[in-house]
Amino acid sequence: MNLLSFAIAFVAFLVLGPVLGCLLAGLDRKISARLQGRVGPPLLQPYYDVRKLLAKDRRSVNDFQGFYVLLALVFSILAGAFFFSGGNILLVVFVLTLSTLFFVIAAYSARSPYSEIGAEREIIQLASYEPMVILFAITFYVATGSFNVSSVLSLDVPIIAVLPLIFCGLLFIITIKLRKSPFDLSYSHHAHQELVKGITTEMSGRTLAMVEIMHWYENILFLGWIALFVVWASWIAAVVAVVVVIAVYFLEIFIDNNFARVKWQAMFKWSWLVTLGLGLVNILVLGFFL
Amino acid sequence: MEIVAFLIAFPILAALILLLVRNEKLRAAIVITAAAIIMIASVYLAINHLFAPALSIGLTELQGEYITYGALLVSIVCAIYIIIKGIQHKRYFAIILAVIQLCAVVLFEFLIAHNVEIVTYLYVDQFSIIMALIIGIIGSGICIYSLGYMRDFQAHEDKLGKRDRRPIFFALMFLFLSAMFAIVFCNNLVWLFCAWEVTTVCSFALIGYTRTEEAVANSFRQVVMNLIGGLAFVAALVLLGSMAEPVLEFTSLINLGAAGLVMLPIMLIALAGFTKAAQVPFQSWLLGAMVAPTPTSALLHSSTMVKAGVFILIRLAPCFGFNINGMMVVLVGGITFLFCSAVAISQTNAKRVLAYSTVATLGLIVACAGLGTPEAVWAAIFLLIFHAAAKSLLFLCVGTAEHHIGSRDIEDMDAIFERMPRLALFMALGMLCMFVAPFGMLIAKWAVLVSVVQSFNIVLMLILAFGSALTFVFWAKWLGKILAIAHSKAKVESGVHASEWFALTLMAVLVVMASIWFPLISQSIVVPYIEGVKTGVLSGLDLPFWEAILPTIDYDNLLIMAIIVAALLIAFIFQLFLRRRRTDKLDIYLSGVGLDFEKRTFRNSLSGETEATQRNWYLGSWFGEKTLLPLASVVSVVVLAAGLILAIIGIGGLL
Repeated sequence: MNLLSFAIAFVAFLVLGPVLGCLLAGLDRKISARLQGRVGPPLLQPYYDVRKLLAKDRRSVNDFQGFYVLLALVFSILAGAFFFSGGNILLVVFVLTLSTLFFVIAAYSARSPYSEIGAEREIIQLASYEPMVILFAITFYVATGSFNVSSVLSLDVPIIAVLPLIFCGLLFIITIKLRKSPFDLSYSHHAHQELVKGITTEMSGRTLAMVEIMHWYENILFLGWIALFVVWASWIAAVVAVVVVIAVYFLEIFIDNNFARVKWQAMFKWSWLVTLGLGLVNILVLGFFL
Repeated sequence: MEIVAFLIAFPILAALILLLVRNEKLRAAIVITAAAIIMIASVYLAINHLFAPALSIGLTELQGEYITYGALLVSIVCAIYIIIKGIQHKRYFAIILAVIQLCAVVLFEFLIAHNVEIVTYLYVDQFSIIMALIIGIIGSGICIYSLGYMRDFQAHEDKLGKRDRRPIFFALMFLFLSAMFAIVFCNNLVWLFCAWEVTTVCSFALIGYTRTEEAVANSFRQVVMNLIGGLAFVAALVLLGSMAEPVLEFTSLINLGAAGLVMLPIMLIALAGFTKAAQVPFQSWLLGAMVAPTPTSALLHSSTMVKAGVFILIRLAPCFGFNINGMMVVLVGGITFLFCSAVAISQTNAKRVLAYSTVATLGLIVACAGLGTPEAVWAAIFLLIFHAAAKSLLFLCVGTAEHHIGSRDIEDMDAIFERMPRLALFMALGMLCMFVAPFGMLIAKWAVLVSVVQSFNIVLMLILAFGSALTFVFWAKWLGKILAIAHSKAKVESGVHASEWFALTLMAVLVVMASIWFPLISQSIVVPYIEGVKTGVLSGLDLPFWEAILPTIDYDNLLIMAIIVAALLIAFIFQLFLRRRRTDKLDIYLSGVGLDFEKRTFRNSLSGETEATQRNWYLGSWFGEKTLLPLASVVSVVVLAAGLILAIIGIGGLL
């Protein structure tokens, strides 16, 4: 990864990330509404929401919350920039973890009972999905011989051919990362199953706007992870990747609308079992063929 | 050469003087001077030898003989001390072990070791110098910290009418440093073993310092476990000494081990390393050591004792890898890492969380040593460096917090950010360094991942994936707790002694500097060390798997991390000191019935006032000690037993 390609990816992700993320969120709400038999808000509703949040007075429960959320936002953008510039996949994972940590600390700093519960749940969510993410990163190395995301561009076959079960496992935990029901424990868009407003209970105005924008950035990054499985050295790959990503996101919306939130125990147990089962089998098969 | 002898001998001198001094001011002066001299001497050693090739120090036969008799005398004194203590407290098992060891050591010396020729008595390379810096700077820093801490501690003891035994305390701390210097420099295994036993006895005395029933019980648990390790060590020495071509030099042992010989002795020494590094099933002694005054814990966890165990194992790394020993070491370390990370989630006592995290991290280091590749050794050394700095910082913070908020429970540290702001920031820094990028520990963990994938160790891959997630849980929830902000809390920070601030600041600076200089340390010290091992200790061997691709993580990525550390530091300084404070604070949400938002009280259904309490999640039924540790111990014991049996059969097969 050289400095120029990083700079280009950084600027591109900085600008395009929220645009695509915002459209995706709008589309999400539209499709969800249709699934529920409603008309739904305009496509740009997420943008209007954030614009309104940004216009609010700058008041907060303390001086630090906004700072922590800003750090969380910066690190999630940085993670995306590392990813889309073809950088080291482990670097992406670790920087994203740092972002989550600052988000959790922001919630704790308010010292409010509701946001603390949200923060605890966010931590449990991370503990649920992180093993699969790490297995994804290390099997990526086994499949491509490099930790660099850019190495998929020179493959003859996409890595889904050797990592099908890892792909399924990642699909499972990506539901948590996209904050979709049944695993939207810490922070949800469905008011009916939320404990006040979860981890964002004490966040308002600009701070809440930053959380929304961070969510857009992250969603695009996670879809990038999905796309990584179906990319190889061919122009057709671009088409395939877009189709697969749209299909996966639609699947997530479908799941989101058809499941009620589960308890943390169920999320934790199932994530770990799925990770262990699918991960182990896939790695064993890989080891057998190596 | 002289500086090495000085580093071993000087702390003993300081210890002897401190034993005689009862005046508090004079003691403070001596401790500070001695600590400063040790720090300067270790830095001097580093400047002179850190960038030079490894140094083998030979002695004349007469000098060697004198020191050997001295070491024998020390071993005998250690054993007799344990026996006397055992008789006092009627701990017969400890007495039996000490007697067996005493006999074995004496017989070994006169029947076997006496006839073995030693060429290189002392050996100094980059790794021993890194260790010396850790011992010299962090260890001495903890001694300085103890001055203020022990004053508060003794004030409390005085109320209970207990005698002031601080001269012994400080003498033991310095003696400990001396023994650690001896462990990292001695190439003569007999001397090394002697220092090894001294650390056991020192920590025995330090754990039992308060002389309460619990302290005595825990000190004997420690000594029994470490004597078992010591016996394994003696057995290894006997085997090594009675071979046709006896070997009692550490470097030669590594050379033989890497060639696939001497499997059983190496396994026995590894076993000794496990006991010292508190690996499952021996972890309980380190948890029990928590009864001692906090500086003792800091010393045991960061720069001495447990580090001696992992030091030996990292040195032996070339002997591990794709063999029975390697598999055993990887499994024991991996199991320890996974289970102790999980158990740490269930602990509310801050010192116990730190202790389990230490054991877990040591497990990771041990597993790296077991992988035995240069990449894994690179990772292990960095884990060791960052763990030493961050863990000493954390222990010292918890010790100070305990004296000022009156509790070591994490729940009582709620909003410590308002009550002891400086301390909370130091604590937060130590925690961040333990578990997230871009700080050192996580970079080292990243390197562990890389080396695990490269050697395609499936078990360790899974253990790392799951264990890392667990690590995040217990650190993140504790960090959140201390960074909570409640404006009503009164500050209680003014009574912290200057010596404590000095040590805390020293550790904090070390943590940050080491994180920022990570790429530099890698390029100029750790990589040359590993290359030096290949051409030095392992010369004459054809080891395909010791072909290094170093550094384990690209220089670019190391640089990115260092830049992020610096940027975070600047951002925090800006936020803490430069940003304009706002006064119009919002109240937190208490369902519309809040009364006092700082105290979190609300109007209850009887129109009374109730406090909204919220504890962190400890998930005892999932991650409790009783749930997980028996399982971990069983698995680990099975692995150890299987390893030993296979090694013994291997020896039988050779005969």
